[in-house]
Amino acid sequence: MRRLEILVVVLAALATGAAADERTLTVLTWGGAYEASQRAALFEPFTEATGIEVETVHYDGGIEAIRRHLSGEGEPTWDVIDMIRADARTACRAGLLEPFDPAILAPAPDGTPAAEDFIPGSFGPCSISHIVFATVIAYDDRAFPGAKPQSVADFFDLEAFPGKRALRKAPVGLLEWALRTYGVPRAQIYDLLSTERGLNLAFRGLDRIRGQTVWWKDGAEPVELLRSGEVAMASGYNGRFFHAQVMEGAPISIIWDSALLEFNNWAIPAGTPDRALAGRFIRFATASERLGALANRISYGPARLSAQRRIGLHVTAGIPMPPHMPTAPRHLGEAIIKDHAWYAQTAELRRRRFEAWLENVDASN
Amino acid sequence: MAALDRESAYRIALLALVGLLTGGLSALAAIAFVDAVLWLNDALFVSAYARIRLEAAPILLVAATLAVPALGGLVVGQLVTRWVREGRALGPPDAIFAVQMRQPPPTLRSGLASTLAALVSLGSGASVGQYGPLVYMGTLIGALASRLGRRIPDIQAVAIACGVAAAIATAFNAPIAGLVFAHEVILRHYSLRAFAPVTVAAATGYVMANVVFERPPLFLVEFAGVRHGHEFLLFAVEGVLAAFLAAGYVALIVRAARAAARVPLPAALRPALAGLVLGVVALELPEVLGIGKETLRFATIEGAFSAGELVLLVVAKVALTALCLGFGFVGGVFSPALLIGILAGALFGLVWPAVLPLAHSGIVPYAICGMMAVTSPVIGAPLTTILIVFELTRNYDLTIAAMVAVVFSNLVAYRIIGRSLFDIQLAGRGFDLSLGRDRAILRHRPVAARLSRDYIALASDDTVGTLLARLEAEGRAEALLTDRDGRLRGQVHLQDAVARPDATPLAEVARTDAVVFGERTTLWDAMIAMRDFIGEAVPVVADDGRLLGVVPESAVIAGYVEAVQDLRREENAAA
Repeated sequence: MRRLEILVVVLAALATGAAADERTLTVLTWGGAYEASQRAALFEPFTEATGIEVETVHYDGGIEAIRRHLSGEGEPTWDVIDMIRADARTACRAGLLEPFDPAILAPAPDGTPAAEDFIPGSFGPCSISHIVFATVIAYDDRAFPGAKPQSVADFFDLEAFPGKRALRKAPVGLLEWALRTYGVPRAQIYDLLSTERGLNLAFRGLDRIRGQTVWWKDGAEPVELLRSGEVAMASGYNGRFFHAQVMEGAPISIIWDSALLEFNNWAIPAGTPDRALAGRFIRFATASERLGALANRISYGPARLSAQRRIGLHVTAGIPMPPHMPTAPRHLGEAIIKDHAWYAQTAELRRRRFEAWLENVDASN
Repeated sequence: MAALDRESAYRIALLALVGLLTGGLSALAAIAFVDAVLWLNDALFVSAYARIRLEAAPILLVAATLAVPALGGLVVGQLVTRWVREGRALGPPDAIFAVQMRQPPPTLRSGLASTLAALVSLGSGASVGQYGPLVYMGTLIGALASRLGRRIPDIQAVAIACGVAAAIATAFNAPIAGLVFAHEVILRHYSLRAFAPVTVAAATGYVMANVVFERPPLFLVEFAGVRHGHEFLLFAVEGVLAAFLAAGYVALIVRAARAAARVPLPAALRPALAGLVLGVVALELPEVLGIGKETLRFATIEGAFSAGELVLLVVAKVALTALCLGFGFVGGVFSPALLIGILAGALFGLVWPAVLPLAHSGIVPYAICGMMAVTSPVIGAPLTTILIVFELTRNYDLTIAAMVAVVFSNLVAYRIIGRSLFDIQLAGRGFDLSLGRDRAILRHRPVAARLSRDYIALASDDTVGTLLARLEAEGRAEALLTDRDGRLRGQVHLQDAVARPDATPLAEVARTDAVVFGERTTLWDAMIAMRDFIGEAVPVVADDGRLLGVVPESAVIAGYVEAVQDLRREENAAA
């Protein structure tokens, strides 16, 4: 019934086409180069096609902002949120999002149904994954004039690859990486990290580099730390490293081994004023053509296969984008898919263990 | 040269079909079973991944750890005592027995109930294995599929072997090991008639697991290679030590079953008791719960365990597995043996470098060798275990290392426990395979099956005259004496009576020390007893002494020849 209703509304909206609409669409997103790419690849074409203006509201992740907005005075005014998968899951469980109807998605240009075109796991109860990003390790090329580090094991090997390391000061990714250095297969990492023994092993792995570690909090820091030569290797987000390396010519290289893959999802806040319009935008923004256009501006991989075939040259720099994508087959084969359910369930445990370990580090240094 | 006649073509097609069908269904069943166990382990807070969800609620975790195995045991007890006619877990020994004796396996109802009980056992974290139940599911499916080809001799044995091969091929992602396991453990011969369909079944299982369902490999291990020649000597030593551990494990399982029978508790409640003990231990040592795939992985990581922890875990796992199996949880011995072996192997790899000042290649080869060297004598399958290493790791060095350890382990363990735990269990049920299939089968066929009622019976107070008249009339040379209740009193031979006066009572000329068979005398015993036998037929008497009939000497010989010929024909059958 509901599916039918949405279809009818979507079709009706499409039929009226570019007939000027008075209202605007409000999208929550992340700012910076990412939002600029979205504006060019998604928002402006949407306005062109429908006559509906897109306004953005800055969003920093989490679910608190959404909770405050929905429980605030007056009617909610947000239409669509671009959020990471784990947050979408939490917000959905908290009832802050509309249920997601996969029927609103457009099929691939060759007619492949959306259900087969999106990467497995893209369909959440309240959201749809649209891009893939990776937390990766990168190194300063100048620090290693000889053999270059290749794997996450090299990140932990201070003898072969001396130099400071930069890591995000949060128990995200580093436990997986530490465990990988023991030869644990990617598929088994979260099973092993669920045991006391696995956590102990991971922290013992981190002990090996703790004397050389610089901690960062903001995603821009690791790029600066590498650029300035302050650290030899750093963890960070693949898009930022790409931007610094390719667009700005910084001597930074990415190690794709054990890249931690995460997803950004589109979701509709509960009680949105015009659900059909929000659905229409998501249909538009997740179409293969649009996702391809976005990927040719910033190195975040489309979550659908037909869009991955549209990745070509960067629209301004003219360099080939496929090798920079987290979804490149070569990268996917060595990536760790972040287990969002595990992350949600171990938030408190990870925080506690990480802080205890940090104190221990400080005490012993 | 025989042409490919219609009958042969029909047989070949049907055998291939049985292989394909049995293989496909067994593979699906195996995948469903393994997935169901994983799901239950998650839902019931047995797996580490699920237990960490209760990290913030330690009381709940304690409650789940204590309650789940105990309640699981309660359910298992009910299932087995109510629905399994045999009143015990069904497993590989039943498959071996059905195949060797050409008897139908236990009923479908018993089989399904036993499988369900295994699912509950494994799902609730009992320290038992999952391959035994998978093998039994393959047996069930094979027995059903064999109805397709009643016209083919030994079809049931072939079809059961197909089911077993596919189950192992699917569960381990190891088709060659599945193929060999079915021959090495179940069929115990390598005829082409069985080999071809079993190969089809194993390949089908592999395709199901890898191509259709894309199952992840059981374990992945990174290993550069054995770097030092002297380490092969150490693998052999490790094999010998593993044999003693395997023998201890087997002995404890056998003893635990006997001890359970003496516990003053109804059979239906015994698994719950074992579950409770398991839960208490798991509060301190959660590694003992279930199959322990995390522990399996940690054992190959240098520094994950101290030597003390390894000793503790090996002891706990051996004891608790024996307890769980002995007290009636339903499951196999294979997975716990893998875990015990890999931990013991890791211990060996950790300890010897501290004793001997020699170079070594790390802990991995010792862990893998230990795993296989402990497991192979338990299930009596040295070739299978070597192949499992090869197919799982695709690493030649590791395979050769495991081969050395496995061979020495089997040599030593054979002297202590015989071929396998399965054979010990079968021997306990009166079917002893230790001296070959011929003897086991001959020892299981009663000579009374060839009973003849064609004999002369006289009373003890009849006279020699009556005897001679009867013998002459029927052209015989001997008669049996019975009393009024039909009990055997002796035998009279013509040569003893012919020189006596006619009025002599028969009691005076009767022999009472002649060869006599009982109701349960087997063909094998009959052959032995008849070594010094001179005469026409041997009387068979019931337990209460009543004469049941006679077995002519020729019938015993015919029975022996038939049994042996059957075996040879089966072993050499082509299609």
